[in-house]
Amino acid sequence: MASATPAIGAFPSPYSIETPPGCEGWEEMYPYYAIFDERRRQTDENRFWFWNSMHFPVPMPAFDVLCIDSPYQAVGSWQNRVFAVPPAMGIDYRIVNGYVYISGNPVTDPEKIAERAGFFQKRAGYYFENWSELYDNWRVKMEALIAELEELRVPDLPEYEPDEVAFGDERNTAFYEVLDAYGRVVRLGDLMWQHHFEFLLLGYGAYATFVEFCKGNLPDIPDQHIAQMVAGIDVLLFRPDAELRRLARLAIESGVDSAFIEGRSPEEIEAELSQSDPGRGWLRELGEVKDPWFNMATGDGLYHYYRSWLDDPSIPYAALIGHIGALRAGEQIERPTEEIQRERDRLAEEYGALLDEHSRQTFGELLGLSRSVFPYVEEHKFFCDYWFLTRWWNKVREFGALLADHGFLEDGEDVFQLSRHEVSCALDELVLTWATGGQPLGPKHWPDIVARRKHILERLGEWTPPPALGVTPDAVTDPMTIMLWGVTTERVQEWARQQEGGKELAGAAASPGVIEGVARVVRSVNEVADIREGEILVCGSTSPAWAPIFSKIKATVTDVGGVMSHAAIVCREYGLPAVVGTGRATAQIRTGQTIRVDGTAGVVTLLDGRDG
Amino acid sequence: MQYTRPLAELRRADEARFGGKSASLGELLAAGIPVPPGFALSTSAMRAPVHDEIAARYAELSESVREPSPAVAVRSSAVGEDSADATFAGQLESYLWVRGVDEICVAVRDCWASLNSVRAQAYREHLGAEHEAATGVTIQLMVDAAVSGVMFTCNPVSGDPSMVAINASWGLGLAVVGGEVTPDDYLVSKVTREVVRERISTKDVEYRPAADGRGTERTEVPPDRANVRCLDEQALTRLVELARQVERHFGCHQDIEWAIRRSDRELFVLQSRPVTSLPERPPKAPASALSLVMSQFGVPPHASD
Repeated sequence: MASATPAIGAFPSPYSIETPPGCEGWEEMYPYYAIFDERRRQTDENRFWFWNSMHFPVPMPAFDVLCIDSPYQAVGSWQNRVFAVPPAMGIDYRIVNGYVYISGNPVTDPEKIAERAGFFQKRAGYYFENWSELYDNWRVKMEALIAELEELRVPDLPEYEPDEVAFGDERNTAFYEVLDAYGRVVRLGDLMWQHHFEFLLLGYGAYATFVEFCKGNLPDIPDQHIAQMVAGIDVLLFRPDAELRRLARLAIESGVDSAFIEGRSPEEIEAELSQSDPGRGWLRELGEVKDPWFNMATGDGLYHYYRSWLDDPSIPYAALIGHIGALRAGEQIERPTEEIQRERDRLAEEYGALLDEHSRQTFGELLGLSRSVFPYVEEHKFFCDYWFLTRWWNKVREFGALLADHGFLEDGEDVFQLSRHEVSCALDELVLTWATGGQPLGPKHWPDIVARRKHILERLGEWTPPPALGVTPDAVTDPMTIMLWGVTTERVQEWARQQEGGKELAGAAASPGVIEGVARVVRSVNEVADIREGEILVCGSTSPAWAPIFSKIKATVTDVGGVMSHAAIVCREYGLPAVVGTGRATAQIRTGQTIRVDGTAGVVTLLDGRDG
Repeated sequence: MQYTRPLAELRRADEARFGGKSASLGELLAAGIPVPPGFALSTSAMRAPVHDEIAARYAELSESVREPSPAVAVRSSAVGEDSADATFAGQLESYLWVRGVDEICVAVRDCWASLNSVRAQAYREHLGAEHEAATGVTIQLMVDAAVSGVMFTCNPVSGDPSMVAINASWGLGLAVVGGEVTPDDYLVSKVTREVVRERISTKDVEYRPAADGRGTERTEVPPDRANVRCLDEQALTRLVELARQVERHFGCHQDIEWAIRRSDRELFVLQSRPVTSLPERPPKAPASALSLVMSQFGVPPHASD
């Protein structure tokens, strides 16, 4: 990896990236096929790769690689093998210094494209025509999958098997049960990712069509107006915070709001509440709300350390304290849904009226289609990325605890430093030696590996990945790259220019307004707590689960994302300027630097000279 | 009075007798759009003794604004195409800050005279010699503008019908219309009144009424004011509302001259013409929503029927 190959065009060759000191051997954390390998240098060096900082902003722990493999297996399956999107197959990924780079596989042969078009029209057409019904089925499927995950028990390894194993055929021995349970956990994860992508491409595509139609007919329409016309009113993703707002009001109405004091831990607050009848009543109400609404993740869910509100109630409690404070100050804290609905309908009507008769009809059809696909586009995140995935990581933790109980790991949490195949291997040895009564080697084998990887990951976290590698494309044509990541030809050219190191970062104008302030660069969810009042959040991308911090910050800048990214949606809700999809804001901006965010023009300006 | 009418009484149908400008101002007034009051001379006034009628109308105007000798603009109001109207009246025959009956009559005669000379030439070249030139005249109260400019009820560059494109500069509209300054440039959404784009420029020249109240004078704008935006959010909102009102009334995109009065910040429309040159859009074959979605996914056009 350390051989010095000159940059090709504006971006460095993937084969020219140096390993940061102390991180030698990082490749061992990842599958052989995830590396830029000399044996396929010819092809890999001549492709365009961009850092998927939207989904993978920090270096990948070994186990979390499942959340690269499985999504790309799933998205490729639907896109390439089920719907056969004519010009685009799936997405390849590679890992460099722990960071994930991706590149689409185009279809260029016109005959192949025509052949695939036949499949696509029939199959995608079926989905669009039966969307609501199929989506209802999907929700049932997802809820069943979550229930199955929750029912799955991780067995322990007893000294003697119970009588049922000896006298009946119903129960298997624990060696099999442990291996079977682990296999099922991994498979359920795969299945979730399959479901995750079933509708996603089509949903985004319908929406993107509406966006393009609007921009063709109303060339100057602000992106946020398009989003406002489509965005759901009764959005599942807003429900958890809406429940918190309701609970805040209830706390005041039942006179228990004095328990919610800034700086108190959730346990301290709950302890005080449990001492009075109204307090216990409030806690009962909270209990009702928790399932399912506290299955929100503290981040976008693709890393094991994004826990749910159930695991870490400090985020919802911090929000409760904020909401109660706002209510006491006489503020209206409920999301003004009626007003949002009125504005959404007004925009649609007024824009429609500005078009000629024919365009107006197409506009209406596309808007209708976008609105019908949109619930999925927003809600799949709650079901898949938050609810399922946070519980799924917890199942994996149970295997970590099992391995730790038997000395294979020092701490159950260390399980995430091993790949899923290594965990399978460790479990193999564990049940083998449990069965034989022999001496396991694992306790002498795995802890050193874990310690080394933790060190490497920490050092890799200090490295700044370039936004792209390889050959600068003349044009980005892959519809998925454009729709899902907002990586357009203009964006790539902008990144290339910025390789020179400018004072301005261009992105998408996601939420209007201009503001200057001090930047806070947040590279991982663990740094969210560092954000101080009045700072400008600069991050890879945000998650709606970060909602409580949006009342603290002045503006948001992200590396990746379009105007429909969650950072954009939330900023519009909060009336904060936002520029998204800048490519390298987290690389170029330093915490403490003064910046100007122009959310109307989509430009971020570095005001003091400390640019990277 | 047979040769003159108050602008407020004129309608589109009066164009043949009073010319395009007067008729269009009458239309605007009828629609409740704020236009400075005034009166119109018909084309047949050209060969008639109209001094007394002008005097009477001017007296009415004077009374209505409670000012002894109010300043007016005297402009020709050609019969025919609006574009012709624009060409002649807009550039050749405007007499501003005219006061008193005698001066008005001189300005009116100058209108007729210049029309004749220019028209005679034009017709000789293009139409043959049969036509006799005729024009009406518009006599309208002046507005002492603190800020003035022009606006389009669409973005004339992109063709976006949801935008109002506004150019504005300090003082009377001459500087903007004559291209002597680069005006502030605003693009405002009709739907939400948001300013989508703005470019504030250096407006270093302005026209004001001359010190003696007759005619105009050109002055330098001090640098501290030249670079200041000349329209605030509230003024932009009023302009957009006015633009929508005018567009709705005429049923097509309009190019509107406007002014904000110095004394009370009242907003006036001075003139409105249809926008004639919009960017050509490639004609689109009717497309269903689903076929557009298909092409988004790269389905070749011929395959998506």
